[in-house]
Amino acid sequence: MTQTTALLIDGYRQVNDKKLFWITLGLSGLVVAIIAMLGVTPEGLKILIWELKNPVFNATVMPPAEFYKYVFTTLGISIWLAWIASILALVSTGSIFPDFLAQGSVDLVLSRPIGRVKLFFVKYLSGLLFAALQVTVFTVGSFLVIGVRGGVWEPGLFIAIPVFVLFFSYLFSICVFLGVLSRSSMLAILVTILLWFCLFIVNSTDGMVSMIKAQMEVKVERLERELAEAQAESIVTVEAEPDAEAPVEGESEPETQPEEEAESAADIEHLADRIEDARGEVRTIQRVADTIIGIKTVMPKTGETIGLLERWLIDTAHLPRQRVDGNASRWQLDQRAAEDKLIENLRGRSVSWIIGTSVIFECVLLLLACWRFSRRDF
Amino acid sequence: MPVDDLAIDLNHVEKRFGRSVHALRGVNMQVHGGEVFGLLGPNGAGKSTLVKIMMTVVHASHATGTILGRRIGHKPTLKRIGYLPEHARFPSYLSGRQVIDFFGAMAKMPRPQRRVRVDQMLELVGAAEYADRKIKTYSKGMQQRIGLAQAMVHDPDLLVLDEPTDGVDPIGRRDIREALTQIRDDGKTVFINSHLLSELEMVCERVAFLVQGQVVKQGRIEDLTFDQVHYQIVLHRPMGVEAIGSALAVEWDGQIGASVTGKTAEGLLLELTDSTLTLRSSDPLDAQPLIDRLRAADMVITDVRSVRPTLEELLLQAVGENGGAS
Repeated sequence: MTQTTALLIDGYRQVNDKKLFWITLGLSGLVVAIIAMLGVTPEGLKILIWELKNPVFNATVMPPAEFYKYVFTTLGISIWLAWIASILALVSTGSIFPDFLAQGSVDLVLSRPIGRVKLFFVKYLSGLLFAALQVTVFTVGSFLVIGVRGGVWEPGLFIAIPVFVLFFSYLFSICVFLGVLSRSSMLAILVTILLWFCLFIVNSTDGMVSMIKAQMEVKVERLERELAEAQAESIVTVEAEPDAEAPVEGESEPETQPEEEAESAADIEHLADRIEDARGEVRTIQRVADTIIGIKTVMPKTGETIGLLERWLIDTAHLPRQRVDGNASRWQLDQRAAEDKLIENLRGRSVSWIIGTSVIFECVLLLLACWRFSRRDF
Repeated sequence: MPVDDLAIDLNHVEKRFGRSVHALRGVNMQVHGGEVFGLLGPNGAGKSTLVKIMMTVVHASHATGTILGRRIGHKPTLKRIGYLPEHARFPSYLSGRQVIDFFGAMAKMPRPQRRVRVDQMLELVGAAEYADRKIKTYSKGMQQRIGLAQAMVHDPDLLVLDEPTDGVDPIGRRDIREALTQIRDDGKTVFINSHLLSELEMVCERVAFLVQGQVVKQGRIEDLTFDQVHYQIVLHRPMGVEAIGSALAVEWDGQIGASVTGKTAEGLLLELTDSTLTLRSSDPLDAQPLIDRLRAADMVITDVRSVRPTLEELLLQAVGENGGAS
């Protein structure tokens, strides 16, 4: 325990010594201040004293408490912490292992009565301190802002701390793995950021493919509805036919009825063809989506892990979206239905799949890095 | 620990790096408890590799033997060993005091004990004055003192020092020598690897010569140099080769650099350089007739001394005999 405590305190001192840590912390404070400056009124958005009227986004659509939670998860976590602060954190912590493994430095610690495996994992945990301290300060600040400005004291916000640390741990494990292998901070940081960018691309592709798939499914559903309606109309027409067999003299209707029937049958056939085509497209896009999911399964899911916060903190009903009324076009209705389906689909992905497979990836990398560290001569 | 016990007993320690580099080729070395032991050797002989194997920093390809009575690589035993590596790099964000405290904690020392020992160590190595400054502001010599303090903070039975006086000024070296003598007097064992042979000569009782991955000689310095002791007779002024040859009845038949060599009638080997006559014999009785003859020839003798080879000379000899490069 003495050794673990000493290593963690050392980790804190190392982080504390970095200017970047304090710069990031200062910027976090600035982001909290920006969140505090924002407000939502029944008419629209409010920035300090300036009010921006907005019929789509206002307190009637999203109550102030939900608004602040939404800003916290999207601006605070998803943009600031999950991107900018994470890059700064990677730059700050990327050198922890390469510095530690430098000759003359690692010898001092390895020559103490501590196993290499324990040493590796405690050092790894001390590296996560940077992220943990940053997100803790940011969440406490946001908690106070939401409490004071939104009037809701939401302890659920603190779930952001473990979620963000978990998210950062995926990236840090890549950085540690590369750092142990190469003993170069520069290489470890740059390749980690590059891989992170690749994860972003895969995640974005997944988002796009899921949206297209949702649109296709909505289209199929609509076509199926139209087909059912057309078939129902056709049946009604057929049922009405016996009366129509004895047309009133002088009326021209009986002459046109077969044409209408033929038209209706053609429409049904055409609809059935379109449905078949659309189903084919859905099957194709499903194969692409399955491939992407397969790729994602073995990769860390950075975006989706952070997305869990939105899932847990924001009620779907309060998400800011385009208002759709009775006069909306068919395209608008389809689009809204596709969005609903997409959200349902993404939120339907299990937490154990998102976190579990990512943690497996992280564990594999850490075990490989630990094995290399344990076997290596310094 | 009883003095007679072996603090380090290495048998057939081998280390290969890949297939091509055979750094250690079966090292056998014994260090007694309570002594200051020096490891000598040319660059690339494998000294640091051997030290790192002892400290579990490098894995041996093969090793049997014990350190403080436990097998090599036994982690808990490291609690009883203090180590200062060559080119030690301490965390720049820590102060000297924090460094010593940190390594005390890594040796599982409880906090109250550390508080006392850290101050004692700072006093011992003369670093109390700058103990609370960040390491990044220290000179090499200051860092080396802190290094020594962190190695000793947990009161180890065995202290392993790799180039402890590297970058340290003469006053610092003297302080370190005094500290090591103090440690030895407390019954601890000190193992030093250094290329500063004159430093080792001053503090070590026993040494080992490592050449090309093998210990080629080891023992007490006196024992290693016993059969190479010689006598020097210094004359008041150069008297000329012929005059001295005539007085001693020596025929000079060889030349080494600026020296001439020859043999006496008794078969003793002599070497003359300017006014210094060297007798290649460890028996003081052999020098007496020569002194008598020189005095009989009215030559003034200013000094007669017995000379032992230095560690440097022994090392060069060992390297030469074993074909090592220095």
